[in-house]
Amino acid sequence: MEAASVSAAPRRRRSEAVREFISAYGLILLLLALPAYYGVQDLSDTGNLTRLGNNVVEGVSNGAILALIALGYTLVYGIIELINFAHGEIFMLGSLTAVALYGTFGLTADTGAGGLIIALLAILVLSMFVSGSLNVMIERVAYRPLRSAPRLAPLITAVGVSFILQNVGVLWIGASQVATPDLLRSQAELFNLFGLSISRGDLLAVVVTIPLVFLLTSFVARSRLGKAMRATAQDPEAARLMGVNVDTTISLTFLLGGLLAGAAGLISALYQTSIWYFQGFSAGLYAFTAAVMGGIGNIRGAVLGAVIIGIIQGISDNRIGNEWTPAIVFLYLVVVMVFKPQGLIGEETREAG
Amino acid sequence: MSRVRWLALLSCLLGLFALTVAACGDDEEEAGGGGGETVAGGSLTIYSSLPLQGTSKAQSEAVIDGMKLALKQVDSKVGKFKIKYVSLDDSTAQNPGTADEAQTAQNARKAVQDEATIFYLGEFNSGGTKVSLPILNKAGIPQISPSNTYVGLTTDKPGSEPGEPDKYYPGGTRTYARVVPADDIQAAALVTIMAEDGCKSLHIFNDKSTYGAGLARNIELAAKDQGVTVEANDGTDKNAPNYRSLAASVKADCFVGSGVTGENYVQVFKDVAAANPDVKLYGPDGVAEAAFTDPAEGGIPADVGARTKITVATLGLEEFKKRNNAEAEKFFTDFEAEYGDATPDPYAIYGYETMALALSTLKAAGAKANDRKVVAEQLTTGTKDRESALGVYSIDENGDTTLTDYGLYLVEGGQPTFERVIKAQN
Repeated sequence: MEAASVSAAPRRRRSEAVREFISAYGLILLLLALPAYYGVQDLSDTGNLTRLGNNVVEGVSNGAILALIALGYTLVYGIIELINFAHGEIFMLGSLTAVALYGTFGLTADTGAGGLIIALLAILVLSMFVSGSLNVMIERVAYRPLRSAPRLAPLITAVGVSFILQNVGVLWIGASQVATPDLLRSQAELFNLFGLSISRGDLLAVVVTIPLVFLLTSFVARSRLGKAMRATAQDPEAARLMGVNVDTTISLTFLLGGLLAGAAGLISALYQTSIWYFQGFSAGLYAFTAAVMGGIGNIRGAVLGAVIIGIIQGISDNRIGNEWTPAIVFLYLVVVMVFKPQGLIGEETREAG
Repeated sequence: MSRVRWLALLSCLLGLFALTVAACGDDEEEAGGGGGETVAGGSLTIYSSLPLQGTSKAQSEAVIDGMKLALKQVDSKVGKFKIKYVSLDDSTAQNPGTADEAQTAQNARKAVQDEATIFYLGEFNSGGTKVSLPILNKAGIPQISPSNTYVGLTTDKPGSEPGEPDKYYPGGTRTYARVVPADDIQAAALVTIMAEDGCKSLHIFNDKSTYGAGLARNIELAAKDQGVTVEANDGTDKNAPNYRSLAASVKADCFVGSGVTGENYVQVFKDVAAANPDVKLYGPDGVAEAAFTDPAEGGIPADVGARTKITVATLGLEEFKKRNNAEAEKFFTDFEAEYGDATPDPYAIYGYETMALALSTLKAAGAKANDRKVVAEQLTTGTKDRESALGVYSIDENGDTTLTDYGLYLVEGGQPTFERVIKAQN
């Protein structure tokens, strides 16, 4: 008996160590499974990783656009624990506004570089303003009166607002996908780095997203209003007692989310060169998934989740098939949730403590 | 027996009775809602059901123009019967450019419930006909489509799915015909033109619809027959933001997008063209419309259009003239006189012939033109060597036309423009 106990102890220690290892690194290994598998396949087929690299480049640029949308979900959830289902439609209306402004500014595929940059900067600001204002207005009209209602009430209201905005999109541009002028020749190769093709669209997505994420992070971390946002996210009652205007802070959060969605709207229109009243639904679904995967309420988590989803989409589209991509993405989400229910970086919400 | 058991037995019997009554009620509603096989009175109604919203709007309107022209030519009368025409929309604001299943079923039920219905012309999309055909067939209403090409609607030829086509004919007899050649012919035509262009390998994208996936299967078979290697046949998700990564997987020298414009196929062609500057691009009749070919209407850019070839079952005016087809010449002359358009959309002539076939079937039925059973039988077995605007053709025992010519169209000035006839190598 004693001998058996003695030999059982190291076995138990080994199994605990294996469990700890899986817990710590299993998720990372799983996340890397897809690129690793195809990386090995590429190396044996072609002797290089160019194809995988190009999948990742596509994924990062798609992920950059998703990140801007995901931030809106994560900010709002972080502060009032509401899944703002209408956020995807705010992004969609940002796109529609941007494309409508192409005409106002007289932009065509033949517009010169100087005029194009100035006009696009103006359109970026205007699209952000429209989406931000709309998001604030929706919060004021549809969500604020339900602040103390059961949690299901604002949730279903958000679904309702989402459908209303979709129909605004249908009335505006019709229900079919509409091709838009390719102002930047977005798929034209800008440069080639060791076989990796970087297009103008890829560069645009990353160049606009990185500063905006940086600005947002700095704003939330360092500014007075950002501190108020964090205080409200932690404990709204305590924040109110400390002199924070909670209502204004929540409105500010919606404004920031809307501004980012507006920016994503313009980038998407330039990158995809098409708009659709339903684009907000699918992009919003993936963006929300990204926010959950990264850790809802966590800014860095939303960006990380979006980039991971973008890369999974890129690899899956190219290797497995576009029709299977939604299933692959959500399979990844399920795996992440099973291993880390709080998301990759962890939640920063009252629920999470 | 205890009281509880009695109650349970009684409940079961009541339940059984209710189920029987409900089942009987359903049968009556589905099959006999129109009030039987013979239409009473001197007025017969012909319904059309087409997508009047979204990308197929222009094609559907062309079909309707053609139908109205054919009806006007007989002064809306056949024998002693006055013909009333009703146009229905099978698309919805949220699901435009194609047949919405719920709306299509509603249209078919509307026709069934109308006691004066003698013909139903539609749907434009094969997926829609999969919904309307069983409802109409059960009620014995004759149906003609101006544009369906999916093989499985009429036969169990390769490309169809298990259970087809019998599952579309619950009434036990055939009531459906179409005036365009099926997709096995279109697939052979597409592959023929690819082979002529020197294609050795082919990559197919399909939109996963009845039409797109079915045609893609037919293209695979035709490619095998004609010695063209199919590298892959990938389904596409309409909701995908773009297809850049998928497009990057195309390694073949030719690409065919087996889908319809409304399934995001402008984006598909743009992305494939951008990722593969040397690949030759081909599209089927599902993209033969200005919404796909004209950049001003949200279609593919001109440089992508210049690389794209499209097959459509209709031929150009010059071709019809070359063939000395008096019926076709009459159509083009009358169409221009009626609508002021000398170059109608390719689908106008199919709308015209669909209505003309319906009217000639009613005429052939004579005094029994108000009897759905007689009319359906006349349509499916009595249409032989018909001299029409499309040429001389018959409707075979499956409801398929015996015509096999496909037209090759190029994109010029944003419009699909007839180039020449393709003689498909089956």
